[in-house]
Amino acid sequence: MALKTIDAKMLSKMFLAGAKNLDNKKEWINELNVFPVPDGDTGTNMTMTIMAAAKEVAKADGSDMTAVCKAISSGSLRGARGNSGVILSQLFRGFTKSISEKTELNVSDIAEACQKAVETAYKAVMKPKEGTILTVAKGGAERALELVEEGCNDMEVFLEDVLRHMDEVLLQTPEMLPVLKQAGVVDSGGQGLMEVLKGAYDAFMGKEIDFTITETVQTSAPSGRPNYDAQAEADIKFGYCTEFIILLNKTFNIKMEMDFKEYLESIGDSIVVVADDDIVKVHVHTNDPGFAIQRALKYGQLSNLKIDNMRLEHEEKLFKMNEKLEAAEEPMMEKKDTAFIAVSIGDGMNEIFKGLGVDYIIEGGQTMNPSTEDMLTAIEKVNADNIIILPNNKNIILAANQAQSLVEDKNIFVVPTKTVPQGITAVINYMSDLSAEDNVASMNEEIGNVKTGQVTYAVRDTSIDDKEIKQGDYMGIGDAGILSVGTDMLQVTLEMLKAMADEDTELISIYYGAEVSEEDAEAFSEQVEELYPKCDIELQYGGQPIYYYVISAE
Amino acid sequence: MKKVAIVTDSNAGISPQMAKELGVFVIPQPFMIEGKTYFENIDLTYEEFYKTLENEVDVRTSQPVPTDMMEVWDDVLKEYDELVHIPLSSGLSGACQSAMMFADEYDGRVHVVNNQRISVTQKQSVRDALMLIEKGHDGKEIKQILEEDKFNSSIYIMLDTLKYLKKGGRITPAAAAIGTVLKLKPVLQIQGEKLDAFAKARTINQGKKIMIDAIRNDVNTRFGGEDPDNISIHIAHTNNHDMAMEFKAEFEEAFPGVIVKDVDELSLVVSCHIGPGALAVAVCKTLK
Repeated sequence: MALKTIDAKMLSKMFLAGAKNLDNKKEWINELNVFPVPDGDTGTNMTMTIMAAAKEVAKADGSDMTAVCKAISSGSLRGARGNSGVILSQLFRGFTKSISEKTELNVSDIAEACQKAVETAYKAVMKPKEGTILTVAKGGAERALELVEEGCNDMEVFLEDVLRHMDEVLLQTPEMLPVLKQAGVVDSGGQGLMEVLKGAYDAFMGKEIDFTITETVQTSAPSGRPNYDAQAEADIKFGYCTEFIILLNKTFNIKMEMDFKEYLESIGDSIVVVADDDIVKVHVHTNDPGFAIQRALKYGQLSNLKIDNMRLEHEEKLFKMNEKLEAAEEPMMEKKDTAFIAVSIGDGMNEIFKGLGVDYIIEGGQTMNPSTEDMLTAIEKVNADNIIILPNNKNIILAANQAQSLVEDKNIFVVPTKTVPQGITAVINYMSDLSAEDNVASMNEEIGNVKTGQVTYAVRDTSIDDKEIKQGDYMGIGDAGILSVGTDMLQVTLEMLKAMADEDTELISIYYGAEVSEEDAEAFSEQVEELYPKCDIELQYGGQPIYYYVISAE
Repeated sequence: MKKVAIVTDSNAGISPQMAKELGVFVIPQPFMIEGKTYFENIDLTYEEFYKTLENEVDVRTSQPVPTDMMEVWDDVLKEYDELVHIPLSSGLSGACQSAMMFADEYDGRVHVVNNQRISVTQKQSVRDALMLIEKGHDGKEIKQILEEDKFNSSIYIMLDTLKYLKKGGRITPAAAAIGTVLKLKPVLQIQGEKLDAFAKARTINQGKKIMIDAIRNDVNTRFGGEDPDNISIHIAHTNNHDMAMEFKAEFEEAFPGVIVKDVDELSLVVSCHIGPGALAVAVCKTLK
């Protein structure tokens, strides 16, 4: 007989199964990111968010609905990372609101919870966009309500129908958001939500789920440190992260794909094999990368090979973590009226922020979105009544806002800086004899005058803003989209600058990244000086990873 | 009616020539350059001063020697019944303190004004004092009026470099802590006692805008509005005359009806701490 209701135990089981399913699929979801920038990872962010909650759920009393709901809600809220993670956490928070006092959930309880989830998530986003995870969630909530009105009371039928409908909505997302259509993908956040729900549905249907994942996949450590730090060396079963692309010399059919995957599974894990028309992208963790490469050579030539020894990297991370811990043990800072927290990455950038008077730096950026929890830890460490947070990345603003709403004993202000140069301008404009409110107002005004462009490389082929992008191309990314693309980095950077600068531009600041040499940066800066004789040009070492140049025009 | 004289020091930017025209007496500010003493505007011109400063020669300021000051006082008091002494701000130098001490020995004939002015604002105080003499006030009243008026002025200074500021000692820790990684042009303010950080600019134009906005804010919130009769505007600079003239034109455009009263070299006491290339603007509420 089909189950009609869900109790606390089942909810807890379903949640863990959903989290695990998302974790399994996260690499694939990362591939769906529209912008082919390195590490702009929706899948990773959502997974880290849900894993933080899963850890709380695993600890909670599984038979108590209130405890399970609280674990889901507060765990995901604090672990939220990236925009998709924050939205996911708000969906959970809304979902658990109306059910936490119940002992058993029937179909109409679930429908009501879905409704609440969608309402809460829409409120968390300032300008909700359709064609995203929000639309997919809303589609589910609406279908759930319809089914209840039609008198459906069989939970299995209900869940299956809702999920099918959401899948349909997800497939529609490219029609709602042109960027998705151009890139030929569905919304990655929406896909992530589906993976969670499908995992949960499987658990409901009694499918055997291996829950060990919640033990081995690290969630945010209690101290609020990002999970990669906490990974124990012994947990690395396969030591080499191996990535490459096969340039196919013959068609790669489904059978070959299955065979290849099966082979990779026999030598490692964390396997991703994504086939396109003429290329296959491969990612595997293995102890013998040679086997993977040899096998792949059967299908064609290889390019973009990258092999990292994760065990060594891990040691470095442990070393860095120790450094961080030492830093954390420094005595409490002197009490200030107003203090700054900035998210920044790269030793040069960090130095600039510190030199400008920023009190606490959260390491992070596009590569690593700090969680709400990371923000809360920083807020706790900074001894001031008023704290101004500079997220310096548009994917971190929501997590900062979420942290703001969780703090009661200090006044937290989030200046929504979307780029590092905007953050720098914001701090420069701080005047110590004005109130924090006045300062925030003037910062908000000033950051609007800063145009930013960032140069990086494409991690896969795509088409955005009517520009064809090949994997490995350099891209100049502006505030509103891709400004230039090409194979010559200098050319791409100059073209990007041309698109940014206008006759009102007075100052061009160039921050060069870790992978650019000082000589090259100086030569480039001289070239810019010749092109813009009327502007002040300021060249600074930023030391940021992945972005060769970060340039601002103001 | 008592015959009252005005004495000031060379920080007010009053040349010997101008002193004669105005009928005031100026005590030159001494400088020590490599152990030898020079006097501002007597045997040390602005040009020579900046040359030595840029050559990284050790330049130190010191207070006027009390006996020199008292010699001037004694001479003046042979012709006048009493004198009003307007020295450099007590926040920037001990000269005011020691002048007040020695004034005690003059049986109430010497009135030292402690109104924390410097450069163009100190010069404006001298003008105000002359106006008060015209109106028939005696030394004691003039001192009182000028001291009551002391907060009715402010100065903003945009620096070209932080190099000199870091060497000197007359700034607050907040000003000294301004980041030096970026090529910032700090805007400082003198209000009351100390030289303090006000804002930071990344370009000259931004810095000028910050100063214009700051003056406008002061004028509207503290000095009773932008009426040209209400305020006087003064520009000063450190070896930066062309930019100062340009700034004068921009200022007069920003405040219709206002004529910038002075474009002076900033007093060397300040210059040796901030270096050449600085631009400053001051506003004084008109004393009525």
